[in-house]
Amino acid sequence: MSDGTHLLELRNVAKHFGGLYALSGLDMHVNPGEIVSVIGPNGAGKSTMFNVVTGLYEPDDGAVFYRGESLVGLAPNQITRLGVARTFQTVHLFPNMTVLENAMVGQHCRTKSGVFGAVFRPPSTLREEERIRQRAKEALEFFGSRLAGYRQEQPANALSYANRRRLEMARAIATDPTLIMLDEPTAGMNPTETLELRDHIVRMRDQLGFTVLVIEHDMRVVKGVSDRVIALDYGRKIAEGTYDEVANNPQVVEAYLGTKAAG
Amino acid sequence: MGPVPLRSAIGGGLIGAVVSIYLALVGLTERFSDLELVGEQVTLGRVLLVLPPFVAAYVVTRPRVVAGVRRVPTPAHGAVAGAATGLVSIGAFAAAIVFAEWFDVNRVRQVFIAASPTLIEFVTFERGLAAGIVLLIALGLVSGVAGGVIRNASPQLRSPLVLGIAATLLMGLLQRIIPVAMRELGVEPDFLYEPSGGLTLAGGIGVFVIAVVASALWTRSGPAARERARSTVREQPATRTALLVVLLALLGILPLLVGAVISEVLGTVMVFILLGLGLNIVVGYAGLLDLGYVAFFAFGAYALGLLSGATLNTSAGAAAPAFSANLNFYIAVIVVVILAAGLGLLIGAPVLRLRGDYLAIVTLGLGEIVSILTQSRWLAPLVGGPQGMRGITDAEIAGYSFRAPQHFYYLALAFVILAIFVSWRLSSSRVGRAWNAMREDEQVADAMGISTTRYKLLAFAMGGAVGSLGGALFAVKIGSLTPASFEILVSITALAVVILGGLGSIPGVVVGALVLIGLPGLLREFEEYRLLIYGGVLVAIMVLRPQGLVPNVRRMRELQEDEVTQDAWANPKTEGETEETYAAVVAGGRLGAEPEEEIDE
Repeated sequence: MSDGTHLLELRNVAKHFGGLYALSGLDMHVNPGEIVSVIGPNGAGKSTMFNVVTGLYEPDDGAVFYRGESLVGLAPNQITRLGVARTFQTVHLFPNMTVLENAMVGQHCRTKSGVFGAVFRPPSTLREEERIRQRAKEALEFFGSRLAGYRQEQPANALSYANRRRLEMARAIATDPTLIMLDEPTAGMNPTETLELRDHIVRMRDQLGFTVLVIEHDMRVVKGVSDRVIALDYGRKIAEGTYDEVANNPQVVEAYLGTKAAG
Repeated sequence: MGPVPLRSAIGGGLIGAVVSIYLALVGLTERFSDLELVGEQVTLGRVLLVLPPFVAAYVVTRPRVVAGVRRVPTPAHGAVAGAATGLVSIGAFAAAIVFAEWFDVNRVRQVFIAASPTLIEFVTFERGLAAGIVLLIALGLVSGVAGGVIRNASPQLRSPLVLGIAATLLMGLLQRIIPVAMRELGVEPDFLYEPSGGLTLAGGIGVFVIAVVASALWTRSGPAARERARSTVREQPATRTALLVVLLALLGILPLLVGAVISEVLGTVMVFILLGLGLNIVVGYAGLLDLGYVAFFAFGAYALGLLSGATLNTSAGAAAPAFSANLNFYIAVIVVVILAAGLGLLIGAPVLRLRGDYLAIVTLGLGEIVSILTQSRWLAPLVGGPQGMRGITDAEIAGYSFRAPQHFYYLALAFVILAIFVSWRLSSSRVGRAWNAMREDEQVADAMGISTTRYKLLAFAMGGAVGSLGGALFAVKIGSLTPASFEILVSITALAVVILGGLGSIPGVVVGALVLIGLPGLLREFEEYRLLIYGGVLVAIMVLRPQGLVPNVRRMRELQEDEVTQDAWANPKTEGETEETYAAVVAGGRLGAEPEEEIDE
């Protein structure tokens, strides 16, 4: 068991695909109320780490604790219900559902009504449905007017790329998480949108009270939001600390120069 | 020939010829040579001779986009190109006839048994080879020209003409149904139909004119009227209720109007509507491709038999099954539905981890197991083996039996309305949303907190429950059961109903069942060619309308088009975004309901 002071803790986690070690002996943790950035060159294992935490992959070795409870072996939906929400590196929405419906799916794990409620529509179900709608709208309004108004009734695949990213985050927010994990949220956004998103990440903690774990390549964002930065390479942690500490760490510099990845 | 390339005309004409030759060689042309549709001259066999050149010309002379410019042929261009197409089509067919004669048709007949001297006589209009061929080519030429001209006539003219032709032919085809229904209503059909069958010449012309005029009026004011009606229905709940009442009243008196024969067909249609609605939950809502759906149909039928005191057929006469209860139909049906939901869980459990093709194969196997069990020696003491079961309840209430087609209709209608209601409520609920999400992207749905295990099982259970209702009704309808009714074809038909109508669409299921079950049921003349026509229609509809007849994504398509215009107007500042949106819309529109590309990493 973990001692429970960390919100999320990974101990000696390993995950390999055939002969390729995506993660090997990864130790890291996230404290409540922190914004932690994970950086590293392509193929460093960042997304694999996300997938292990959220239950899409089962680790080959090691342990993952959330609030002192092991997450290993739980289904993704159970982990989401415990309060861990995520977005994906490449956008994964429900493309033919409306924007509002996408966000409403997020509330699924916080609500209960089943077949009986669906068919007979008792008052409790109607109230719950209204609450789902309300929460979904609140989540969409986190992004101001970007996902407001007529857009909410449009299918998700009609949105612009940046708005799809925002919708994915809104859907994660709608699951009422404690820990929100964002996988390269600014990928493909223009400089203005990137700066806007930087503020959103900080607001997620200050306004919504989430703990944030974010994979990010844009160093201005990393610098602007992070309480702590963790650098990965070859599936293990090579540096950890404040942005300046990590940015000046020789191993990190070497990892980036060696691969000439984003900067 | 204007914008129509010669190559297309030749190609289209050759395809028409292949269709003609095919129709002749499978025997359709000769089989229906005597079936009079309008007057004495227009027989179905002759229609089959001129239809391929007509359709080929109609298709070939369509407007084309050449180098980004849409080029619409004038009617004159259409006439020339249509003539060329029709000539190639009928010419190649005529060449085949001449070849068959030269080669000796009786030798051809050793391989193609339908190629008889009678066939040759028929296609040459019994006027000898030379004169007959000339006449045939002239007819093909005329129908080719007609196809080309009609295709390129103004829209106000085109659709009324096409509709008029179709309506006249259909009225002629329904010559065994409509006169009967008219007599049922106390109207003598003499003024419309010949005693020998088809429409009278005057009747045919009358039908054509009425259809053309009605359609022309509708083309002129239809869209506006439709929009008016739609907004009235949207804004006035009272109107909606009134419409619903009228619809129910119409459905209520329908069997009295149409007589026993059509009522019988409608009964079968409704059994398949129930199957389609159930399968629609599994395939349309939850996205689980189930090819073994016949399992629930069989289970519903046999379980109802056992629970309501049916007996087994044996060589020594009727025998009591190994297990039997003597419940009232309405209690038995509730028990059956609950048990079928349980069976759904049982079938769903082993296939939880499978997706797509693999799921389809395994469910196919499970369905086959059930239909083999119905014939098996092992279960014979329970379900009667190959000889089956008889004496199934007629679901009577206070002495009113539901066995007769016109009575069964009401029982089936009640169950169909119930199933539609449940389907509709499910689709617009938290459960429906979860299924929808799971269908669009199972892995992401799971990551967003939806237990895919639970909702897959739920879909199988609900689908099974509705499907078993179809089985139970079927049992009441025919009163006795044999394994022949529960073969794999039922699964395929139910799936075809759902896909043809449009996955996930409730009206789609109704339309799909009417087209796939209703039409063949009405056209009994075609009994031996039923599957052939069925296959052809399925292929044609799926090619022309892959999203189904009544797709449920249409609303979303319309919205997508809105987005383009709205963004172009409303967001002049974010140009990049607008372009992206436009590209996404275009891609989305082209791909339709296709999910996005596969998962990351």
